Amino acid sequence: MPGDYITNYLLSLTNHLPKEAVDQFYHQFGLDLPLTEQYVLYLSNIMQGEWGYSYAYSVPVFSLIMEKLSWSLILLLPATVLGILIGTVLGAWSGWKSGGKKDLAVFNLMIVIRAIPEFWWAIMAVVVFAFYLKWFPLGGYTSIDILYTGLSIPDVLYHAVLPVSLMTFFIATGNYYVMRNSMISVIGEEYITTARAKGLDERGILWNHALKNALLPMITITTFQFAAIIMGNVFIETVFSWPGVGLLTTEALRLRDLPLLEGIFLLDTLFSITAMLAADVLCSLIDPRIRMGEDV
Amino acid sequence: MSRKMILRVSVAVLCVYFVIAICAPLFTPFGPAEISGKPLQPPGNDHLLGTNDLGQDIFCQLVYGARITLLFGFCSALLSVLISTTVGIVIGYYGGFVDEFVSRCIDILVPIPMFPLLIVLTAFFSPGVLQISLLMGVLGSIHGIRIIRSQVLSLAQTSFVEGARAIGASDFHIMSRHILPNVMPVVMVKFVSQSQHLLVMGVGLSFIGLWDTTTVDWGTMIQNSYSSGGMALGLWWWLLPPGIAVIGISLALAMIGYSFEEKFNPRVGVNRI
Repeated sequence: MPGDYITNYLLSLTNHLPKEAVDQFYHQFGLDLPLTEQYVLYLSNIMQGEWGYSYAYSVPVFSLIMEKLSWSLILLLPATVLGILIGTVLGAWSGWKSGGKKDLAVFNLMIVIRAIPEFWWAIMAVVVFAFYLKWFPLGGYTSIDILYTGLSIPDVLYHAVLPVSLMTFFIATGNYYVMRNSMISVIGEEYITTARAKGLDERGILWNHALKNALLPMITITTFQFAAIIMGNVFIETVFSWPGVGLLTTEALRLRDLPLLEGIFLLDTLFSITAMLAADVLCSLIDPRIRMGEDV
Repeated sequence: MSRKMILRVSVAVLCVYFVIAICAPLFTPFGPAEISGKPLQPPGNDHLLGTNDLGQDIFCQLVYGARITLLFGFCSALLSVLISTTVGIVIGYYGGFVDEFVSRCIDILVPIPMFPLLIVLTAFFSPGVLQISLLMGVLGSIHGIRIIRSQVLSLAQTSFVEGARAIGASDFHIMSRHILPNVMPVVMVKFVSQSQHLLVMGVGLSFIGLWDTTTVDWGTMIQNSYSSGGMALGLWWWLLPPGIAVIGISLALAMIGYSFEEKFNPRVGVNRI
C-alpha cells in the first residue's frame, strides 16, 4: 500500500499534486527532518506526554484513542469476562473427562471453530442473523432514530449483542484450550493419585486438588486478555462498523495516519508490558512455589 | 472417523491445494486480472463460479489467489521455524553469555503485540506480499526460540551429547546430528501450527486492506465482495468461494497440527485424546 497521507488526500481532491502544499505539510509535521532526528523528537515528545496529532482528525492522538476506547470497552468488557468464565468452565470439565466421548466431541468442535477466521464468522453472523433473519441490526452502534430521540442505552446494547456474542465465542475457545491442557497435566500428577488412594470422593478431588492447581496458568492468560482489550478487536469492529479502537486502526491504516497508528501501537505495547508484570506478580502471590527475586 | 483417517484426509486436502496453486494456469482459461465477461454473472458454463463487479472470473481469481495465500502462509512459517530452530539450538547449546544476551533480547520482544506491530510496519514501509511474509516470519519466530531453547537446554546435558563431545565431534556436528533430530518433532508441530496461524493472519491482513489490491488473494476477494455488499445483493458466488477456500486449508492444517502434537507431545499423550 503505497503513498503517504498528504499525497493520498490531495490526489483524492484533485488530479495534480501541488508541490508547495506537500512541502508545507512535511515541514509542519517535521517530516523533512532526517529519520534519526524525527525519532529523537518523537521520543522526547512521548516523555512529555505529547503523543502527537492525528493527520486526518486534527486532534491529539491520545484523547482520540481514549474516546474510542470507551466504545471498545462496551463490547470487550462483557465479552472478556463471559469468555473467560465459559472457556474456563468448559475447559475444566473437558479436561476432567478427557478421553471420553463428550470431551472428544467438544474438543473437535473447538478446533473447527478456532480454525475458521474471526472475520469470516463475523461476516456469516451478519449475513445470517442480521440480513436474512433480521434479528439484529446490520452494524453500527445506534439506529437512525438517534436524530430525534438522542442516544439511548437500550438501542446501543441491542446493536452490541451480536458483536459481543461473537467475541465471547472467540475468547472462550482460546481459554478452553489452555484450561483443558492444564487440567490434563494436573490430573496426571502424583498428588491426584495419592488423593484417590486416600479414598477421597471424585468431587472433592476435582474441587480441592485438581481445579485449584489447574487454574494457575489461567492467571497469566486472563491478564493478557484484559491487556488485549486496548487493541479492540480489529476484525469484529470492522465488520460491524463499531466505532472502537479496532475500527479506528483500520481507518488510520486506510488514511495512512501514521501518528494515530503509532499512538495505538504504543498504548497497546504499554498495556501488554503492564499485563506481563501483573501476571508475574499475581503468580508469585498465589503460587508459593514461585518466588520473586531473592532466591532465584 | 479416527484420528489417523482425519490426518490422511487433511494431508490429501493440503496436497490438492498445492497442486492447484502450482498448476494454476492449467486449470484456468483466464488470468486473475483479466476482464473476461459481463459483470456479476452467476455461475455458468463460461464462468465456473461467475464473475465479480468488474467482470473478472471468480474461479480464476480463486485459483491464482491460492498461490499468494499459500506463498505467504508457508514462506513465513518456514522462515519463522528456521530462525527459531537455528537460534534456539545455538543459544541452548552454547549457553553462557550468548544465551543470556539473546534471551534478554527476546524478553524485550515478547510483550510487543505482533499483529499491531505488523500493521504499523506495513503502513510505514508499504511492502509487497513477499516482504510481508518475511516480516511475519521474523516476528513469528520469537516465541518459537524460547520453546526450542528450553528443549535444547536439557538435551545438551544428556550423556549422548557428552559422549559425542568426548570422541571429539565438532560443535556443529553435535548440533546438527545429535540435537536437531531430537527437537525435530517440536519443530514439525511448530511449523504446522505456525503456518495455519500465519496463513489466517495473512488473509486477515489483506482483508483489512493492508497490501496493494492489485495482487489478488483470498483476503482481498472477501474484502471486495463484502465491502461492495456482495452478500446483501444475493451474490453468494462472489463471497462464499474464497471464504470456503480459507476455511478448508485452515482446517486441514489445524487437524494435521493436532494429530502431530498428539503423536509427539508426551504431555498431551498421557491422557488419550
